Order: sequence, then C-alpha cells, then structure tokens
Amino acid sequence: MKQVLARPAARFAIGFVVPLLFLAWWQWQASSGGARALTFAPLQSIGAALVELVADGALARDMFATVSRSLAGLAIGGSLGIAMGVSMAIWRPLDRVLGPLLHAIRQVPLIGWLPLFGLWFGTGQGTELIVVCLSAFFPAMLNSYEGVAHVEQRYLDVGRLYGFTPFQRFRLLLLPAAMPLILTGLTQALAFAWIASIATEILLGAGSGLGVTMQLAQTQQRLDVILVAIIATALLGFAINTLFQRLRRHLLRWQAAPL
Amino acid sequence: MFVDPRPPSVASADHAARGALTIADLDKSFTIGGEPRRVLDNINLSVKAGEFVSIVGASGCGKSTLLRLIVGLDADYSGEIRLDGNRIASTSLDRGIVFQDHRLFPWMTLAQNIELALLNTDTPKERRAQIVADHIALVNLKGFEQAYPHQLSGGMAQRAAIARALVTEPKLLLLDEPLGALDALTRVHVQNELQRIWMAQRSTVLMVTHDVEEALYLGDRVVIMAPDPGRIRRIVDVDLAHPRDRGAPLLHRLKDEILAELTAAPADPANLVRLPGREDRR
Repeated sequence: MKQVLARPAARFAIGFVVPLLFLAWWQWQASSGGARALTFAPLQSIGAALVELVADGALARDMFATVSRSLAGLAIGGSLGIAMGVSMAIWRPLDRVLGPLLHAIRQVPLIGWLPLFGLWFGTGQGTELIVVCLSAFFPAMLNSYEGVAHVEQRYLDVGRLYGFTPFQRFRLLLLPAAMPLILTGLTQALAFAWIASIATEILLGAGSGLGVTMQLAQTQQRLDVILVAIIATALLGFAINTLFQRLRRHLLRWQAAPL
Repeated sequence: MFVDPRPPSVASADHAARGALTIADLDKSFTIGGEPRRVLDNINLSVKAGEFVSIVGASGCGKSTLLRLIVGLDADYSGEIRLDGNRIASTSLDRGIVFQDHRLFPWMTLAQNIELALLNTDTPKERRAQIVADHIALVNLKGFEQAYPHQLSGGMAQRAAIARALVTEPKLLLLDEPLGALDALTRVHVQNELQRIWMAQRSTVLMVTHDVEEALYLGDRVVIMAPDPGRIRRIVDVDLAHPRDRGAPLLHRLKDEILAELTAAPADPANLVRLPGREDRR
C-alpha cells in the first residue's frame, strides 16, 4: 500500500475509489425497481438532467450566482471582521465597549437572523447577502483578535529595540505575526459563507443560485436536478477550498511545518 | 592590553572612543505575590569603552534583569545607569542586544531581519543593502540571505541575531546567554567568531553567561554575581591579550577559582536545608 501510494498518480487516483464504489452501489439501488426508484435516481437520468441544465445555461448561472454571493460575503464580512478583530486587539477600550455585544450577537445561529432580516430588508437577494456577510464576519473577527492579541512579547521587545513607530509595529510585526490565525479565520469564514449562501438560497429562494434550484426542484419532485445541484455544490466548494489553501500556503511559506 | 585594532570595515572611526557604561547604586525589585522582592541589590560597575565584560552567576541572580535594564526594555529601577554620561530610560539604537533565543522574525528572510535594525537609523537607503551584506559576511552566513529563520540551524540563527545587533554599530553590545542553546562544538565556533568580530569592531560588550570558561575566554573582566538578592560578589581581571588561546594556564587557574567560588557551600546558616522535625527528635 505504502509503495503504491509513493507515486503521485496513484495518490491522486485512490481518492476516486470510494466515490466510484458508491456510484456503483447507487446505480444498483436505482435499477432494482419498486419504491427504491423514487429514492435513487439512476445515473443516466442524473446525466440527462446535467446535460439539460448545462445546455440552457441554468447550471452556469446558478454556480456563478452562488460563488459570487459567497465571495462577496467573504470579502465584505471577512474584511470587516479582520478590521474589527485587529482594532479590538490593538485598542482594548474598543474591546471592552463592543466585545460583550458582539459575543452575544454571535450566539444567534445564522438562520436565526432570517425572520428579523426578512421583516427589515424583505426576502430578496439583499437579505441573502447580509446573512452571508454576517456569517463570514465572526470567524474572521475572533481569529484576527486572537492573532493580534497574542503576539509574543519577545517579538514585541525586538520592535521596541529598533524604535518601531506604531505603524511599523503594526505592518512589520503585529500583522505578519497574526497572519496564520487571520488566515485560519478566513478559511472558517469561507466555509461559513458557503453554508450561508446555500442555506439562504434554499430558505428565501431569491435570485438564482444552487440553493434556489434545489428548492425549486424539490417542489417539482426533480430528484435528478437536486442531485446535480448537490454534486455541483460539493465540487465547487471543494475547488474553492483547495484554491484557498494554496493561497494560504503561499502566504505562510515562512512557516516551518506544512499546513 | 588591547591588541591594535584593525581598521574596522563597518564601524566608524571614533567607535572605540564611545560606549563607557556606568552603573551606580542600582536596585531593582519585582512584586511577586503582592510582596516586593529585590532582584538586584546595590550594583556598582564601570565598563570602559571598548571593554569586554562577562557576567557569570547562578540562575536567579538577576543577570538577565540587569541586561533588560541596561538595554532600556525596563525603566523601573532606582539608581543610575549611564552610557557616556546619559541616563538610560528607554531603548535606543546606541545599544544592541542578543538574547538567548535568536528572536529573528520568522516571517522575514535573514537579510530582511538584519535590514530591519536599520529601519529607523539615518543610514542612507541605498547603502543599507551593502551594509547588510557586509554583516552577513561578517558572521559567515553568505548564501543564506534569502533563507527564512526556520531554515537555519540554531547556530546560524544565533549568528544572524548577532549580525542584526551589530548592524546598527551600537556603542554597547549586550549578550544575554547568546550561546546557551547551542551544542558544544557550535558554541566554540561562535565564541571564536565573537572574539574576531569584537576585535574588529571594538564596541563595548557586556555578556551574561552560565559558562565560566566562555566568560574567561572572551572577557577582559569577569563579574561574579550572587543570588537572593542579585549582587556583585567579585570582579576578576583576566589579564591576557586577545586573541586568546583556550589552553592558556591563566584561564584554567581562574576557572577553577571561580567555579570553587560559585559552588562553595553557603556559609550563612539561614541558607542551610533543614529537614522538618529532625531537631525535635530524641
């Protein structure tokens, strides 16, 4: 086993073994007739649905909508979260004033905001984006705060020795020292934004998006369409996460251990 | 007793004329568990410009605290610490320090770490790269300019830290057990380099160490400190020209003497260990 896995191609291929076994089992279930045919759509009808959704551009539109909603939420909520966490760590009075409120707010699960935001902002795409932003905000804030607040004293001493100005201290010391945790926060924020996008799309159904299509397909009893949307969601999420980890590794190339 | 200094390559010409340190009636207390505890008691020490002074003593005798005060990371003391007549109240580029851990920023390359020390000096920007390169060469790290600290061995990182401390041409260089974490062979190697660099630059050096041999090999004088509270017990002159031979009989004789002094049984009966209840037993 170890020798087989020494080859990169084999390492890559082995990740497909379980999914293929699963598909075979699925197809067997779908073709065994009776009640099972309602639970398991056969692969050929999933394939047909895929072709249909690709042909009329619906799938591309949905993927684009969900990805752009997630990334916009990550950009807005994540950067506000980093700014807030960093500010609270650098300037403790802000932490004392805003900290308790923010820590109370984050106890409310994402979905818990939907009724309120629905009344305030309606059930359109704006509300979807606000929830996605909010879901990205907290992990970014919490990790950035921890990262900046716990920069080691021995490095802070070095900053004092070389007469760093407050700005130099921030740019050359606090920010890079906190970067591993800030990026951990953004990784979590990305996951939360992705979940929030799909969830709000399913619940509000506004605009286009993979969640909107899933919800619509449920009312139309299109099992095949639901499955295409789920597979697209899984692969897309996986791809975004992989890209993000690459970026993270590049930014943290100064660290000894592989991440 | 100074060897005629070679024309220093990186140091300015009047370098050896500056860097005289005077410590007078220095006391320092910490508050531990709500009670003040004296860690340095009546320290008096004068270090001449260009002199290399080693400090040895048991752990807990306030050696590192003393260096933190001199470098200016802690201004809460009573008494006087003066460098060329000016009282020390905060950090300054006049004084460099090398800690036991190298404290290079892990997110910067070796060259960036060293250049960092020049950030707030008036060294012209276009000359900085050359000065950094000279100092990397000085500590024999050529070829590792772009390495990150985790890619360096302990000895290399420590030499980089020494280069960072030297690059600002401090009048006073403080070394806080800089070689404590190194293995024996690397240590001898870096000691030799320290001696070579000091002979070339002639800045005043104050080095704290656990290692009596190291203190004697490098120091013009060795200050022996005693703990509880930290105080100077004795100052030993090492009257031997640099560069020194490790086998010099004088160094061995002084080493035996100092070790005997450091490990002598405490004469104060209050320091004797008493097992509870022993005296009452008949």
